[in-house]
Amino acid sequence: MVKQPDESIEIDVCGQICPSSLLTALREVNNHKELLRSGRLQLYILTDNHDSTNRICDAIGNMGYHVEVKDKNSYYEIVIAKIAAQKRDSRS
Amino acid sequence: MENQTIILVISAFLGLASGIIMHRSDFCIAGMFRDLFLFRNSPLLRSLVLLIAFSMLLFEIARLVGVLNYSLPSSLYGLPSLTNLLGGILFGIGMVLAGGCVVGTLYKLGAGNLPAACAFLGLLVGSALYAEFHPHWKQLTLATRLGDAATLPQLLRLPPTLLICVLLLGTGGLLYRWQVKGLLLRPNRVKGYLQPRTAALLLAVIGLVSFSLLGMPLGITTSYTKIGAFFEQRLIPEHVASLDYFQGHGFEFFLPISNQTLHAGAGPFWDGLALIQFPLTLGIVVGSALSAISMGKFNCRFDIPRCQLFSALFGGIIMGLGARMAPACNVWHLLGGLPILSLQSLLFTLGLLPGAWIGSLVLTCYVLKQ
Repeated sequence: MVKQPDESIEIDVCGQICPSSLLTALREVNNHKELLRSGRLQLYILTDNHDSTNRICDAIGNMGYHVEVKDKNSYYEIVIAKIAAQKRDSRS
Repeated sequence: MENQTIILVISAFLGLASGIIMHRSDFCIAGMFRDLFLFRNSPLLRSLVLLIAFSMLLFEIARLVGVLNYSLPSSLYGLPSLTNLLGGILFGIGMVLAGGCVVGTLYKLGAGNLPAACAFLGLLVGSALYAEFHPHWKQLTLATRLGDAATLPQLLRLPPTLLICVLLLGTGGLLYRWQVKGLLLRPNRVKGYLQPRTAALLLAVIGLVSFSLLGMPLGITTSYTKIGAFFEQRLIPEHVASLDYFQGHGFEFFLPISNQTLHAGAGPFWDGLALIQFPLTLGIVVGSALSAISMGKFNCRFDIPRCQLFSALFGGIIMGLGARMAPACNVWHLLGGLPILSLQSLLFTLGLLPGAWIGSLVLTCYVLKQ
């Protein structure tokens, strides 16, 4: 599911068993720490569970990243990026 | 049975309301216990404490003013035994592996979640499987009986109201501190989100309505057993006829709304328990589906890793077994039994903790490998 490496990665955890979305988000953030910290990469987590948006934003936000939730109709898109990094338009 | 239609409507309405409330607030009780061990942080668990404490207050007031009548031990909550603890442990493991408890599974199923459908199937299988060894388990229950007090006030020989006041003062202080620190409030990042603390208060009122009008707190696991038994009846009717568990009508309860005492059982027949629990169960699924559709979040996905589906099915089977062995589920014990200080429910809850811990370990080691 990796698209455009070095720029943005989209991870789709819709419909998965809890707490897969939070664990996956934490793992991906750790795997791409350097790129995320330097602002060269943005992560997009797609989830359809609304408590996950809270859990992911709290956990990743506490780690010092910029997090943002976008409502994409049948799912939510959580954008994880470097703080104060220039925001890109998210793909739909 | 009198007033069948009214009972059916009340029950379906309580189910619908619960389904909507739980879906909107993502009131996942399995998750609350799991996160306590998995992340050492479970913000939603505080809402469960609020729900139990508020139910305790409502039930006791209702009892004192005569709206709610019960006396324990009864078929609702019997005498404590070591098997309550064992059932709780098994139930705890199952609910974490299944990704939701007996009602969590229903509201997730309503929103189109495939693992929840697997867990639902597992619950039917596990509940029906219990009938195979029910006589042995019953013997073990009798052999490990812990005294003849059914509630904490009976055990301590204290007036219930006094003990409840003391407990409410303690939890009330704790809840007040959480409220002041903002710990009961969750961030509101998505449209249509219902705060879990509001959900907790509403669910306590639903529990009171059910208990005072229908004679029992919210519960659904006997309906799982009945559905499982209906299927088994189709496939192997002679075997079903040979099982004591499916033939008994030992569950006795008073139905205030039709002013009569009913006898019910877990077998494949229509009775008072079916009348109350079937509409409730269906109502939760439909309520959640309506809530998900109105939010645009009804999402049915089939590309789920197979190990997760297997975990949900296996967890469902264990949870179904645990719910029969305990006996009864987390909703029955946490939202109905704890507020009236049933010792069975206290033991069950005590068992849930190590169960959820073991479940979390298995889940992270085998199902969601890092």
